[in-house]
Amino acid sequence: MVKPDARSDIRNVTDADLVREALSGSDPAFGELVRRYQDLLYRHAVRMTGRGDDAEDVVQSAFIKAHRNLGKCRDPDRVGAWLFRIAANACKDFLKAKRETVGVEQMPGLPAPDGDPEREADLGRVRDEIERALAHLPAEQKEAFLMKHVEGWSYIEMSRTLKVSVPALKMRVHRAREELQTLLQAYGS
Amino acid sequence: MRMDNRLQAYLDGELTLEDLPLELRARAREWNALIDDIRDASPAGAPLGLDTRILAALDSAGRRARPAWITWLLRPRLVPVPPAAALAVLAGLFLIVTVLGVPGGDAIPESRVYVQFVVEAPSAETVQLVGDFTEWQPTVELEDADGDGVWSGRVPLLPGVHEYMFVIDGSDWVTDPNAAGYQDDGFGQKNSIVAVSPVSGT
Repeated sequence: MVKPDARSDIRNVTDADLVREALSGSDPAFGELVRRYQDLLYRHAVRMTGRGDDAEDVVQSAFIKAHRNLGKCRDPDRVGAWLFRIAANACKDFLKAKRETVGVEQMPGLPAPDGDPEREADLGRVRDEIERALAHLPAEQKEAFLMKHVEGWSYIEMSRTLKVSVPALKMRVHRAREELQTLLQAYGS
Repeated sequence: MRMDNRLQAYLDGELTLEDLPLELRARAREWNALIDDIRDASPAGAPLGLDTRILAALDSAGRRARPAWITWLLRPRLVPVPPAAALAVLAGLFLIVTVLGVPGGDAIPESRVYVQFVVEAPSAETVQLVGDFTEWQPTVELEDADGDGVWSGRVPLLPGVHEYMFVIDGSDWVTDPNAAGYQDDGFGQKNSIVAVSPVSGT
């Protein structure tokens, strides 16, 4: 059993046991799932939405949805992947609702300039261009590109998590690269 | 703009830098730098206190799970009962129903209303009903007593809108083709919707 006051113990409980405990009504168990996976979901949501506050909203709504539908998690050992899929879908819904016009200029977490001002200005301009280009990618391409290249997923892991075939994911990543290449050349010209 | 297939293969991890011709290696290094830039610009993790806000939102939305004992009590289940015990239980139920006077058998205490679920699944071995009212656990078995492929079961539900699905043979989750409505479930399928009205006079 998960005890509410046993934070050190609960950290050693497996994901599958946490899911079972949460389904039995254990709040600490679901709280531990939130703590385990909020970083993974938040990083993806920030990259997808481009804004920290939007990412927080998306992650929060994803966890609420997960809580309501926890019984639908058919493989509790892989609840992390299941949570990620819910958050990834929420990100795409968010972008589609915004008609992909969300800018990423206010992406949080950018290192503050602390070196040579001219060099920092150049670096900042390059990042702005990259972020503008990413913001223009269709949601599915952006998701696949970020998972593959920035978050380090393999195509097989992506396929298992997103329930999309490997060839289809490869196609999305290839198109994202071509689109980014075109956009970055346009910005640079 | 079309990208060289060899560069795509390198970025997919299928070729090494040495496999590329010299003119493509510079492009490959540019891509690596670009990806590093995107990675460096990302936050390390969730902001402080996000978990607390999420759990508070669950509380305020009233969506947190019920205490375990309430969940256990409310969970529909099949209980194998020996014939003699079944007769005793039936006699007890008859007494309780008589004393409480549940009107017409359409409603039970706690204002729950019996809802009939029916689905046609001629080749199914088992059909279960899952929904928000079972915490999405396959605890309600539908029956096809005459073997005509039409499975049915009655479930007591609280008034309100409920989402549900059928589970065929323990693995195929299907939407009710005759549902009153549908709701995207966020996992690529749609949940069936049933609206339960309160029974007047209960």
